[in-house]
Order: sequence, then structure tokens, then C-alpha cells
Amino acid sequence: MIEQIYQIVKLNFRLEWQERQSYFSILIYILSSVYLSYLVFSEVISAETWNAFFWVIFIFSAVQAAYRSFHYEADQRFLLYYGMVKPENLVLGKIIYNFLYLYATGLFTALVFTFLMGNEINSLGAFLFILLLASLGFSAILTFVAGISAKASNNPALPAILSIPLLYPQLISLSRVSLRSLTGFSWEVNAPLLIVLALLSLVSLLLSFLLFPYLWRD
Amino acid sequence: MKGIWWKLLGLLLVLFSLVYGMLGPVQRLPILNETIRVLYYHVPMWFAMVALMLTSLIYSLKALNTNNFAQDSYAFEAAKTGFFLASIGLSTGMVWARFTWGAFWVNDPKLNGTAVTMLIYLAYFVLRNSVEDPFKRIRLAGVYNIFAFVMMIVFIGILPRLTDSLHPGNGGNPGFNKYDLNSDMRPVFYSAVIGWILIGLWLTNLRVRYKNLKEKHEQV
Repeated sequence: MIEQIYQIVKLNFRLEWQERQSYFSILIYILSSVYLSYLVFSEVISAETWNAFFWVIFIFSAVQAAYRSFHYEADQRFLLYYGMVKPENLVLGKIIYNFLYLYATGLFTALVFTFLMGNEINSLGAFLFILLLASLGFSAILTFVAGISAKASNNPALPAILSIPLLYPQLISLSRVSLRSLTGFSWEVNAPLLIVLALLSLVSLLLSFLLFPYLWRD
Repeated sequence: MKGIWWKLLGLLLVLFSLVYGMLGPVQRLPILNETIRVLYYHVPMWFAMVALMLTSLIYSLKALNTNNFAQDSYAFEAAKTGFFLASIGLSTGMVWARFTWGAFWVNDPKLNGTAVTMLIYLAYFVLRNSVEDPFKRIRLAGVYNIFAFVMMIVFIGILPRLTDSLHPGNGGNPGFNKYDLNSDMRPVFYSAVIGWILIGLWLTNLRVRYKNLKEKHEQV
């Protein structure tokens, strides 16, 4: 099982690397949206606005990055997968791949933010940990929604409509806790919120894992 | 006429709560004053909404296991009725908020929860309508409905408890829990809750039957 999941993750990297433009388009997407907020808000950047912009841009780039997850499986390769790979393994592999992808996306976004809008991050360790939790929860939900929209097809607005409301519970806790990591962070005080975030990610992960087989059987 | 008793019961309970809610005695409290009566017209909607979303969830689970169209359409209609009740709850709450908090909309965890719930279910409706193939629709809408329900429970049941809310019963506000102990208000409130749940189920039932008849008519 682990071997199979590892193979899926590797295959995904290889396939995406062959068509590099999808990576580059995400990078450019982030660059242009960060620059947009820099142009509009250059004079009034505080920790609060930094935080708000960061999460809004991250959530949109994450949706952009993940919604093509089942792009390949939707057509000819799908039959092969259906016969060879158990849906549980497929979804875990995709979630791991998306998790790495989203974490890299988040790090890149944070880097561009620091470059353009100044370094507002007070405790880097906490911020990176929060970003890790965020990528985990986001990847679980976004992979699942990508599966749904790959099957539902031909409605370009569908991934965003379906996933953004599901991400709100995490986002509301994330923006609160990450603001504290910008202004000054104490692990003891924020432990309950971090645990809630971890549990939310776990619930999303579990739901995706359990429901995906229903979605995938044809 | 079999099974009519619960419909009549629902009707009677709702009528009782509507009329007696306006006429019955209530406590006099600062700020709230007579607006405390909104308890009968606002809070039961959320109870009924959760009950209907739960019904929708159960039918979705059934539909996923049996691939039955009828159950899938019951799940859809139950969610629609729940959404309708949520809109009533939202509008009564907004009117109340205007006179006690001074604005129709404030940034409050419970209001956010409601808005998110409604957005999630709107997404569910869009998803269900955008899939043509009925077998596919059962699966896609079903799994999304399960996800939606869990996220709704997280949002309205867990997250508000972590932060202060302007709502009575949370944070530093006087709680409705105290007034529920008032023996004058309790029976009206409970009959409104039960009545609205029954009315919601009846409404769902009617919608499903209407849809079935319409389909039959189109086939003929």
C-alpha cells in the first residue's frame, strides 16, 4: 500500500514536471496577485493587512493549484488507474502530492510577501508550522473537491464554489492564529487553537479518505 | 388519511407558538425588553434546519448505499427546506439584531456560521443541478452532502464555543438559558421547535410528491 502511494506521488511529480507550465502559471498567479495587493495597499501595510492578504491569496492559489489534481485521470488514463489502484491509495497519494505542492506554494507566497511588503513575521517557526497545518487541511479538502469536479466536468466555477465554503472553518482559525505568529507567539496560549486546527485537518482527511471510494466507483 | 396526525400536530404547535408567542407573558429585561419574543420565531428555525439537514444526510447515506433515485431526491428536497428555514431564521434574527445590536449584520461567530452553512448548501444545490447523469448525481451530490453536514456542525457547533459571541448565552451576555427556565416561556418555545421540525418534514414530503407527479405528467 505504501509502495503504491509512493508510486502515485512520484508519478504525479513526473507528469507535472513534463508540463512545467502548470507550475509556472501558479508562480505567476501568486506573483501578480501579491503585486496587485502591494500596489493597492503599499502605504497601509500592517501585520493585520499582511495577514489578511496572505491568506486570501494563499487560498485562491491553492484552489488554482489543486483543482487540476484529477486532470489526467479524467480521460484515458482513468481506466488504467481504475483497474490497478485502489481508490483509497489513489486519494492518499494525491493528498500527499497536493500537500507538498501547497506547502511549497505557501512558502513561495510568504517569500514574495516578505520581499515586497516587508518582513512582518515575528516568530518564523510558529508561522511555518501553521502553514504546514493549513496545507494539510487544504490539500485534503481540495483533493476531494477536485475529484468531484473532475467527475462533474464542464463547469469552470465549480471547484471554487465547492471548496471555498468548506475551507472557511479552517481559514477563520488559521488567520487568527497566524496573526499572533506575526505579532508575537506563545505556544502555550495558542495550543488549543492549534489542536483545533489539527483536528479539523484530521476530520477533512478522514472524510476524503472514506468518501472518495464512493465518488470514484463507476 | 394515514399518517396525517403528525402533520396536524405540527400545524397546531406552530399556530399555538405563533399566536401565544405574541400574547403570552414574558420576562422584562434591560435591552431585550419585548424583543425577547423573537426566541419563538428565530431559534426554532435553527433547530428545524439542523433536523432537516440531518434528514438530508441520512437520505444521502441511504442513496449512496442503494443507488436509489427517490432517496437522493428526498435528500435534495430536505436540504432545500432546511435552507428555506435558515433564510427565515436569518431574517427574523436580522430584524432583532437591528433593534438590540444596532445593525442588521455584525461580525459574530454564529452569523458567520449561518452564512457559511448557507453558502455550503448553495454549493450543494449548484453541484446537484450541474450533473446530468442521475447515477453520477447520486454519488457526487451524496458525498458532498456528507462533507457539507460535517463542516456545518463544525462551524455552528464547535467554533462558536471557542470565541465570544454577541448572542445571548455566550460570552458576557445574559443567556437565553436563564429565560428558558422561566416556566411561561418554556412550553411555547418547545412547541415551536417541535412544530417547525414537523412542518419542515411535511414541506419536504409535499415537495417530493409534487416533483414525482410532475415527472409522471411529463412522461405521459
